[in-house]
Amino acid sequence: MEWLGVVVLGGSIAVLLALGVPVAFSIGISTVLTMLTSIKMGPAVTTMAQRIATGLDSFTLLAIPFFILAGQLMNRGGIARRLIEFAKALLGGLPGGLAHVNILAAMLFAAISGSSVATASAVGSIMGPRMEEEGYERSFGAAVNITAATTGLIIPPSNVLIVFSLASGGVSITALFLAGYVPGILVGLSLMVVAAVIAVRRKYPVGERTSGREIVRRFLAALPSLFMLVVVMGGIVSGIFTATEAAAVAVLYALILALVYREITLDDLPQILLGTSATTAVVLLLVGTSIGMSWILAYENIPQTVSLALVGLTDSKILILLIINVILLAVGVFMDITPAILIFTPIFLPITAQLGVDPTHFGIIMVLNLCIGICTPPVGTVLFVGVGVAGTTITRVLRPLLPLYLAMVAALLVVTYVPGLALWLPRLFGAQ
Amino acid sequence: MTGLTRAVDRAVGWLLVVLMGIAVLNVLWQVFTRFVLANPSGFTDELARYLLIWIGLLGASYAAGRNMHLAIDLLPAKLTGRSRWYLNLVIEASVFLFALAVLVVGGINLVRLTLTLGQTSAALHVPLGYVYLVLPLSGVLMMFFAVAAVFRHHAEWRGSDAIAGRSTEPH
Repeated sequence: MEWLGVVVLGGSIAVLLALGVPVAFSIGISTVLTMLTSIKMGPAVTTMAQRIATGLDSFTLLAIPFFILAGQLMNRGGIARRLIEFAKALLGGLPGGLAHVNILAAMLFAAISGSSVATASAVGSIMGPRMEEEGYERSFGAAVNITAATTGLIIPPSNVLIVFSLASGGVSITALFLAGYVPGILVGLSLMVVAAVIAVRRKYPVGERTSGREIVRRFLAALPSLFMLVVVMGGIVSGIFTATEAAAVAVLYALILALVYREITLDDLPQILLGTSATTAVVLLLVGTSIGMSWILAYENIPQTVSLALVGLTDSKILILLIINVILLAVGVFMDITPAILIFTPIFLPITAQLGVDPTHFGIIMVLNLCIGICTPPVGTVLFVGVGVAGTTITRVLRPLLPLYLAMVAALLVVTYVPGLALWLPRLFGAQ
Repeated sequence: MTGLTRAVDRAVGWLLVVLMGIAVLNVLWQVFTRFVLANPSGFTDELARYLLIWIGLLGASYAAGRNMHLAIDLLPAKLTGRSRWYLNLVIEASVFLFALAVLVVGGINLVRLTLTLGQTSAALHVPLGYVYLVLPLSGVLMMFFAVAAVFRHHAEWRGSDAIAGRSTEPH
C-alpha cells in the first residue's frame, strides 16, 4: 500500500466534501488525484472515464430508474391514499394511532416501491396534515415519516439492494430481496414501539376502532395497489422476470393505475419522465465515480490492509461486526447510501465472508445500517425530502428523531446478531 | 436562468424524456417478445445498457445545471457576501475541472481508443466509440452549466451587496 495515495485520497475527499463540492464530483476528483500519485495524467483521466462508462453499462442498474419512475407514478396520491386508509383501518385504534398508520402505510408502500424517497413524499404529504389536524406536533410527524420511509429500501423491491448485488460481484438479487422482509418489518415494529411510548406520554389521541366489514372494504380498495407486490416480487422470486424487467412491468402497472385513478393524464408524462431521469442521474453519477474510487482502493490494496488491521485487532466475530457497524454508521452520516455501498462493500465483504457471515445477511446489515445515515444531516436524502413535504426544518425535526434513531440501531443490532431473521425467507424459497 | 441557459436546459430535458421513454418501451418489448411472441428479441439487452449510459451522463449534466447533485452545504450556508462568492467559485471550478479532465479529455481518449480498436457492439453492430461520445458531450454541457452558475452567483453577490448597502443608509 502506498501511504501517499491513502493520504491524498482521505485528505482530498474530506476537504472537497467540507467545501460543499457535490459528493459525486468530490469522489471523482479525489479518485483522479489519488491515481496521479502512481500514474500519469493522461492514462488517469482515461481510466476514470472508462470506469464511469463501463460501470453504468449494466442491464441490472436500469432497474433503478424504473423503480424511481414507478415510485413517481405512485406518489401522485391515489395509491398512497388507499394504502393509508387500509393501514388506518388496522391500526388507527392504537394509542398514537396516526403515527402507527404512517409507519404501516410506509411499509406497505415500501413493499411495492423500490425507493425510500418516493415513500417519504407519498405517505408524508398525506399523513403530515392529518396528524397535525389531530394535534400531533408537526416535527414529530415528520420524524416518524422519515424513519418509517427507510423501510422503502429494506423491504423489497429496493434500489440499494440492487446496488449491493452489483458491488458484491453477484450476490443474488432474489435472495437479497427476500432477506429484506423480516428486517424491514422489524424496523417498522421498533419505530412503532417508540411512537407508542411518546404518544402515551404526550396524550396523543386514540382513533376509533374500525369494524371488520370496514377493514375488508378498505382492503379491497387497496388491493389493486397491493397487487403490484405480486407482479414485482412474484415475478422475480418465481424467476419469470429479472429485477429490471419486473421494474419495467411495475412502471406499466403503476401508469395504468394512476390513469384509472385519474391522478395523472398522459400530458403529465414528459414531466414525470424528466424528473425520473434527473433523479436517476444523480444516483448514476454517484455510481460511476464510486466505482472509480473502489477501483483505486483495490489498486492501492486498501481492502487487504483494512482486513489485516481488523483481524489483527480481534478475532471475535461479534466485535468485528460491531466495529464494522460503528464505522458504517459514521460513514452514513457523511456519505449517501449508494456510494457508501459501492466503496465499502469490497472492503468489508471479504472480511465478513472470512468470518462465516452469509453475504446476503451482510448486505441487509449494511443497507439497514446506512438507512440510519439517510435520516441524518448533513447528507440525508430521506431527511431532506421528509422535512420538505412536512414544511418543517432539520433543526426542529432532530429532537424527535433521536429516540427513533435508537429504535433503528436496536433493530440493526438484532438483525446483525440473529442471522436467521434475514436468512429465513431466502432459505425457505431456496434462493442463494 | 438566462435565455441561452434555458434553451440548453430545455433541449437536454427533451432528449432525456425521449431516451427514458425508449428505455421503458425497450424493456417492455423484451418481456413481450419473450412471453407473448416466444421469440426473444436480440437487441433489447444491449440497447437498454447503452440507453442507461446516456441517461446517466446526460442526466448528470442536466442535474448539474439545476444544482440537484447532493452536497454537504454546511459551509456555504454559513458564509455570506464576498466569502460565499469565493466559495461558490471554488465549487463551480471543481465541477468544471472534473468535467474537463475526466469527461471531455478522458472521454475523447476513450472514444478514440475504442474507435481505433474497431470495437463494435455484438447485437446492434454500433461502434462502441459512438456510445461513449456521451462522455465528452455531457462534459461540455457540465462546463457550460458551471460557467452559467458562476455568472449567477456573481449576480447574486452583487445583488445582495446592493441590498446590504441600501439598508445601511441613514433614513
